[in-house]
Amino acid sequence: MSRPLDDPDDRRLVADLDRLRSARPVDAFDTPAEVDATFRTQRRIAVGYFVVFLLVTLAVPALTLVLEWWSQGRLAGGMSPYFVMAAAGLYVFFFVLALAAATLSSAVEDRMLGGPDWPADEPEDTANPSDARRSRDSRR
Amino acid sequence: MSSAALVTLAAMLVLAGLVARFARPRNASTLDFYLAGQRVGIVTNACAICGDYFSAASFLGVAAAVYASGLDGVWYATGFAAGFVPVLLFVAAPLRRFGEFSIPDFLGRRLESEGVRLVAVGVVQLVILSYLVPQAVGSGLTWELLVGARIGGLSPYASGVLVSTVVITAVVVLGGMRGTTWTQAVQFLLLLAVLLWLTALVLGSGFSYPRAVESISAEPLETPVVVDGEWRLDAPASLLNPDEPMRFDEPGARYGRLGQFALVITLVLGTAGLPHVMNRYFTSPSGTATRMTTVWVLGLAGLFYALAVLLGTAARAIVPGAVANRPWLEALTIDGVLRVPEHALLALGRIYGGSTGLGLIATGALVAVMSTIAGLLLAAAASWGHDVYERHINPRATQRQAVRAGRTAVILVSGLSAAGALGLQPESLAAEFPSIIATMVTWAFALAGSALTPVFILTIWWRRTTAAGACAGMAVGACTSVAMFAAGLTIGSTASDDLGSLLLTPTLLAAPLALLVTVAVSRWTRAPAHVERSWLLMHGTARDREAERLARLTIRGVSREGTR
Repeated sequence: MSRPLDDPDDRRLVADLDRLRSARPVDAFDTPAEVDATFRTQRRIAVGYFVVFLLVTLAVPALTLVLEWWSQGRLAGGMSPYFVMAAAGLYVFFFVLALAAATLSSAVEDRMLGGPDWPADEPEDTANPSDARRSRDSRR
Repeated sequence: MSSAALVTLAAMLVLAGLVARFARPRNASTLDFYLAGQRVGIVTNACAICGDYFSAASFLGVAAAVYASGLDGVWYATGFAAGFVPVLLFVAAPLRRFGEFSIPDFLGRRLESEGVRLVAVGVVQLVILSYLVPQAVGSGLTWELLVGARIGGLSPYASGVLVSTVVITAVVVLGGMRGTTWTQAVQFLLLLAVLLWLTALVLGSGFSYPRAVESISAEPLETPVVVDGEWRLDAPASLLNPDEPMRFDEPGARYGRLGQFALVITLVLGTAGLPHVMNRYFTSPSGTATRMTTVWVLGLAGLFYALAVLLGTAARAIVPGAVANRPWLEALTIDGVLRVPEHALLALGRIYGGSTGLGLIATGALVAVMSTIAGLLLAAAASWGHDVYERHINPRATQRQAVRAGRTAVILVSGLSAAGALGLQPESLAAEFPSIIATMVTWAFALAGSALTPVFILTIWWRRTTAAGACAGMAVGACTSVAMFAAGLTIGSTASDDLGSLLLTPTLLAAPLALLVTVAVSRWTRAPAHVERSWLLMHGTARDREAERLARLTIRGVSREGTR
């Protein structure tokens, strides 16, 4: 037997679920124009970060050909700068680069696609996608 | 082998079996068998990808390459780790958002062509077999050194190949992707623990990494070679400075001017085309989650490879001084240098941990092999079972029949890889290719990077890519790379000269060629009709948001229930 929903949180939860079931919410779809703009931005980010990645990675062996100190010199402890970079430094670089790229890409998507979360401040009657989209656009 | 080592090995195998048993698919759906229900969390998936990716080539091969070639060997590790950066930038999130079962499935659906799907299945199977055989070779070599037992009159090497193949095939057949995910995650953590344990013992004994590099670099880098049937040490000249001998911390021990670049490009581009790694991305709950999974993978890979490089260096510095009062080590070395570089970690484990240490390292090596074989077998099962059986042989197959087809594919492919490993004679190749496992895996990377990665990236980022273009690109990339290998092996090239480097790591030439052919043919043919729909799926985030919203609501519902 179902219970009456006295708790406002329960009622809100059930309302959210009903909205999900009965209507595709406003931010459950993307328009082609939005996606295209995001795609172009993401492509710039990916290519930009890849160029940096490739330049730094290939510069490590390439420096040997032009800079004798790179492979012959000794840093504190006895390793050459080339060895330090290849054995440990590049891993740190890859991680930092990946973290920065992932954070930026996700932030771009959050900003350019979808609306605000199903929020407490979203009026209940914006379950209609077109209403909610107008509401979202007006805030932008 | 000591009883302690045997117990360690047995415990690991039992653990893998239990994980597979209790994390087995909950029902007989293909989504569960191939993709673990697409609910694998970020950290779990990162650990599973590492378990999948860190094969014998990473565990034994990187330390061996560093041991044999010094700085030039370090680039194996760097290239293996670097491969995940292009995966993150170009592939991970769009691939997951499109949301299919396998690489052929993705290409077939995106380009709306069954022809593309079938060509991709052929290429994927080639890559999988190229990758599986060296794993089976690694298991045979490890068994030979650790256990040495003969089963059914077979050689120890053949016994190792068969035992590992049978065990991991059983785990995959029983556990599917869910069981394999947890097995791989646990196996990676075990691998990392073994490396950390050995590093702690080595550093605790007073080993100084920088001083060791400096001291072993002061002498020429000697390599054991067979001359007139007898082993002796040779100190060849540097390939970059022919007037100087090879030295540990200088380039030129293995590669000429072009070789290092060819290797790095091969490894960097190859990762994005590895079917077993890419299939893991389909198990994530969302595209955003795949990005963070890749960041975790890069962090874990950095730690893992930095330790492997340290231990390869440590073996080079420590083994010569340890030979004097260890007869077992004398049998493995020529004047203090290991004859088979893959023994570097195993020898170090026995020096510091006795037979238990040897058992732990050998267990780690077998675990590395088994977790990678598991991923490869699942990728093979997904492409045979889903892309061929369900699509072309029996389109009306029930879920149970489709899963059974996948399991049959696992058994057939594992049998083929074992046959390939048994047909090879690794000792005869060891003199030609120091660190034979890492070298063989590089061939798989070259094939994947030449045939699949260019097509993959174009399919995700260029709307005009067509089915005909993709088929032509894959065919040209695969044929060019295989022909270049064959030419390199036929004329007896080595990575030491520029021509040899190009032939044995052909991605530098084959990948741009595949890319150009794909673009050229695509420009002459008609783009898929529903490309805009594909674009919305790959580059939009609607599905991610819906999945996140449902997850949030579920959590709210569960927590409300909990507070009552």
